[in-house]
Amino acid sequence: MEADDKVVVRLEGIHKWFGEHHVLKGIDLELDAGEVQVVVGPSGSGKSTLLRCVNMLEIPSKGHVWFEGHDITDCRTDLNRVRTRMGIVFQAFNLFPHMTAIRNITVALQKVLKVDATEAKERAMEQLTRVGLAGKADAYPGALSGGQQQRVAIARALAMRPTLMLFDEVTSALDPELVGEVLDVMRQLAEEGMTMMVVTHEMGFAREVGTWLIFTDGGMVVERGNPTEVFANPRTERLQQFLAKVL
Amino acid sequence: MSAAVTGTVEEALETAPDVRGPTAPWPVSIFVAGCTAIALAIGGTLALQIAWAVGGGSITPECQAAGLKLNEAIGARGVCNIVTALGSQAETTVLALAIALGGAAVVAGWGTYKRLDTRRKREHAIAGAVLGVQAVLVALFVLWFRSGNLLFPFVRNVLNFTYLKGTFHLFLEAAGRTLYMAFLGEAGGIAIGLILALFTLSRRRVVRAPARAYINFFRGTPLIWQLSFFYAVFTFGFNLNIGTVFTAILVFALNMGAYSAEVFRAGLQSIERGQIEAARSLGMSYAQAMRYAIVPQAVRRVIPPLLNEFVILIKDTSLIFVLGVILGQEELFGIGQEGYSDTFNATYFVGTALGYLAVTLPLIGIVNAAERKLRSGLVGIAGAA
Repeated sequence: MEADDKVVVRLEGIHKWFGEHHVLKGIDLELDAGEVQVVVGPSGSGKSTLLRCVNMLEIPSKGHVWFEGHDITDCRTDLNRVRTRMGIVFQAFNLFPHMTAIRNITVALQKVLKVDATEAKERAMEQLTRVGLAGKADAYPGALSGGQQQRVAIARALAMRPTLMLFDEVTSALDPELVGEVLDVMRQLAEEGMTMMVVTHEMGFAREVGTWLIFTDGGMVVERGNPTEVFANPRTERLQQFLAKVL
Repeated sequence: MSAAVTGTVEEALETAPDVRGPTAPWPVSIFVAGCTAIALAIGGTLALQIAWAVGGGSITPECQAAGLKLNEAIGARGVCNIVTALGSQAETTVLALAIALGGAAVVAGWGTYKRLDTRRKREHAIAGAVLGVQAVLVALFVLWFRSGNLLFPFVRNVLNFTYLKGTFHLFLEAAGRTLYMAFLGEAGGIAIGLILALFTLSRRRVVRAPARAYINFFRGTPLIWQLSFFYAVFTFGFNLNIGTVFTAILVFALNMGAYSAEVFRAGLQSIERGQIEAARSLGMSYAQAMRYAIVPQAVRRVIPPLLNEFVILIKDTSLIFVLGVILGQEELFGIGQEGYSDTFNATYFVGTALGYLAVTLPLIGIVNAAERKLRSGLVGIAGAA
């Protein structure tokens, strides 16, 4: 199963059960370097679970996740090492509230990647500058707005220099006027060629930035393709209904 | 009409309106009457006691009739002063005044608060009435208490402070030993508890089970049994000669370990799932995630309940008495118990209670302050430990 170098992540027949509840019913997906995979769908369709299966926060009940040529669903995989190469940003930010913005970023650099303190600070400041928050390095999360917290969370993930970034509805918990600043950061990241998987309800953003789009419903991929085409010509009635509601 | 209404609204918005409104002389006088009544009932009685104590007094014929003779009964003059002051004409006047004023405040307050038109007026009237009730109850209690013929024996056996003369340093040293045992016991308990708590949160049943068994055992048996049993086990079973105090400290630590474990477990579980997910998704191991992300946050939340346990342990160190008191090594309860055994005078226990309260009341104050601070969320935001 040696994949060519371009493939960053491949999902093969991913199933997930929560007890009796069958959340994912066989998802296949492949993403090349530099591509942006957008995942849309109604609430409860398993989008977030799918994303969390990619970095094994949820262990798939069945199926395989290949990342950089390795089957990370194999229980012999060192998941801690894999996760340093795969950043995730959550809906609820999940910054460590007892650490300053910069400490949120440097803690994993120092303790996991064993980067020395000076270099960790430099790398953290580099990412804070990229998300436009160099001036907030010493602020605690509680003193930052939702949009600022989310940008720190993105900087925290990027500082690990991952090859894949996962975004789990990162603007859903934000006030409407703060959504733009976070989307701008993600848009810039996509332009720089970051491989990304984005679960989102922002359809405009999906169309603009996505290389590929899947529409999931009931734990299955209902439609897939180029976002512009999928939105322009939805083939299934289910997607037509969904687009009618959200666009 | 509408212009006038708009005007008042704008005016009110410029400065936050005082919802409680102004007060007035009438409700204030009810409040003052209530305050005066309670001050008379409690403060007046105390003031008279002090006046008699300082004034010296002497053994009255009544006191002699009750068997209090100078040079024969210990503390005869002090007991006589307390009883005489309580039965004095001045005390009667003070109590009568308290009842009259308190009663007036109750009637006036309850009778009129519904007709008062601002919140502050009502609050003053109601507070005055409540204080009035308390003053009347206190005054009636003192009247009843001094009327019986058991007053002499009561004061002689429970409030005979002459017995405590010159024992202050003994109580102080005993309080030191109480705190010493409680502090070491709690420190050991915290260490044991943190490890146990991490075990109880394991995904694996084989790790959880022994920790749960330990916790349930020490929570399910009385401390007094644990002290008796483990003292026997250590001293005679293991032939360990570490002394009564250290054996007791060891048992306190084992016992508090079980309770602290539950506190830590609750604290660790109260941290949002997203925190450990964020830490793990940055590549941290479970241990690293606990150490850098979860435990530092949980520690802040468990400070109030752990201090609370410390207060409980301070009192529970008294159970060391089942192991027998070693002369010169008594803690607060032991020193009281010893004085009582020698004299059969319960005033020693009053001294013990004062000793415990002197230690625990400030701690309880700290617990409450810490809880308030936590609830207001200041700790979480400022990140100050």
